[in-house]
Amino acid sequence: MRNYVAVVFDDTSKAYEGLHALWQLDGEGAITVFGTTVVHRNEWGEYQVDSKETHAGLATAVGVGVGALLGALAGPAGAAVGAAGGAAIGAATGGAVGVTTDLVRADTRDQSRYETAFVVGAGQSAVIADVSEDWTGPIDTRMRELGGIVYRRSGGALRDDAWLGDYPPSSYLYPYEYIPPSDRVW
Amino acid sequence: MSTSNDLDRVRAAAQQLHGVISDAAAKRGEVIKADLQAIPQKAKSVIESIKASMGAQKEPTKKNLAEAVKSLEATQKHAAESLKSSGKAFQTSIRQTLADARASVQKISEAVAAGRSAESKHTRK
Repeated sequence: MRNYVAVVFDDTSKAYEGLHALWQLDGEGAITVFGTTVVHRNEWGEYQVDSKETHAGLATAVGVGVGALLGALAGPAGAAVGAAGGAAIGAATGGAVGVTTDLVRADTRDQSRYETAFVVGAGQSAVIADVSEDWTGPIDTRMRELGGIVYRRSGGALRDDAWLGDYPPSSYLYPYEYIPPSDRVW
Repeated sequence: MSTSNDLDRVRAAAQQLHGVISDAAAKRGEVIKADLQAIPQKAKSVIESIKASMGAQKEPTKKNLAEAVKSLEATQKHAAESLKSSGKAFQTSIRQTLADARASVQKISEAVAAGRSAESKHTRK
């Protein structure tokens, strides 16, 4: 089954361990990963998305695309916010914080938590992944071991969200394990 | 060599191709073009690997791989165009090259996922 997964971690290094673990599960054949990225929210509530240092057009596209995807993962309450706020999510290039915004505003946060419980809190990081999994056990078990909380939404449900636009939601995810050089610890 | 190993190898090559293109896109000026010069040949090499492994695959997998070949052919085309263009046209062709490479990995991954899923059902019987 094709699912979009968001795994929320309390700190950045754990998020990268989570990312690495997802690709390891892929290497073992337990799941198939189509794409991943890591999103961070700083203490001021601003979002940044891991991205290779790239030209402005692509960085903006990544911000818009991942913003929309986060909105979709947050369910119907997050959808409108994701579509509106996605453009302002900064793609972090080389560790720099880009233009940012509060993706899930205070007035919709409670509702989105109620519906899906997916919210990245200030200071937290989340691994966002597009995966194929026959059962949820491998990801749930491994992420729990690392201290991550897993949220899922089916690929079909996301594709039905017409506001995501012409591009598939995973277009802005890296189709391989990408960790910014400054955050590599192994 | 098993068919799943073949697919894994082809997928790794396509992932690497996307990585090379996105690394090139991160650079500036003439350095980008120097990096892009190798892309059409690399894409051709992945196409050849896919075609070589297609015979042993089942029909749904073949369909995904055929679509991956189309995306890789588009990658070749747009990378070649980017070498001859400049300004906005250059930026557009880089984005298209990256999107095509991304689509090829997507299709190969779909083939891999289908194979793993079938294998897993077979094992659980």
